[in-house]
Amino acid sequence: MIVEKVDGLLPREGQGELSAHLAACAGCAAEERAASAVGPLLRAWTGARAAENAPRLDAMWTRVRAVIGERREENRRRAWIPRWAWLPAALALAVLAFLFYPTGTARQPFNPRSFDVAVEDVESDVATVALVDKGEDLPRVIWIMEDAKS
Amino acid sequence: MPSRNPSVRPSPAALAFLVLFLLLCGSGSAAAQAVSVEIGAVYASNEGSSMDPVLGNIRGKLQSMFNYTSYRLLDRKRRSLAVGETGEFELPGRRTMRVTPVPAQGNKVRLSVQITEGAKNLLTTTLGLSRGGMVLVGGPSHQAGVLILIISAE
Repeated sequence: MIVEKVDGLLPREGQGELSAHLAACAGCAAEERAASAVGPLLRAWTGARAAENAPRLDAMWTRVRAVIGERREENRRRAWIPRWAWLPAALALAVLAFLFYPTGTARQPFNPRSFDVAVEDVESDVATVALVDKGEDLPRVIWIMEDAKS
Repeated sequence: MPSRNPSVRPSPAALAFLVLFLLLCGSGSAAAQAVSVEIGAVYASNEGSSMDPVLGNIRGKLQSMFNYTSYRLLDRKRRSLAVGETGEFELPGRRTMRVTPVPAQGNKVRLSVQITEGAKNLLTTTLGLSRGGMVLVGGPSHQAGVLILIISAE
């Protein structure tokens, strides 16, 4: 009950009973006095330690605030660059993609869009050449018949 | 003291973009005059019956035009050539194809083509194609079959 009293957890009805006992028992009264003195002693000790460390804590907090301020400024400067850079960069990429993205013909080999071919002249020193035209939906063929091998 | 408005301050990135844009405009007009020439060398024979899947959309065309049973793409090269610039393409069998874009009007492409085998002139021709057009040159013997050359211009 003494410990509960010191900790402030003793119910009101128990407090009268304890007081009556402490008045009659010298041993328990001494124990109660000793236990009650511990709390103030601890508070005084921690207060003294805090007072001792206060200058160092103040200095550390000052440094922390300075670093937070620096980081904030750094982030602000960083944020300024993308605000200017992203738009021209995106436009440049779009222009590049438009100019250099391969067309359908380039992506797939031999995907002709037209077989309309004019053969303006044909000449060979060693072969007979024939033009083969099998219709608009088929490619025009220049066929080389090598004279020496035929 | 009057403060400077950052929204009107010229930025190095914006200047770089302007320079890049002007350069691209210049290269775009040059690219419009260039001709992208693609040459494919197909080996056609009656050895087996296979069709090279790389030949893509023209597989059916080859089968409807020729009586060979096997078609295999041996080589494929693409080169961008300016008008008057000659591109040389090595072909199977120590043959060479020289292609020179010549001046053309509108969306047309004109190509001067010469195929040689050593010192012999196998073919000299001038072709007029639409951009994206294709023509075939076939007949030169190769192994047990023939070569069919695919010429396309973009």
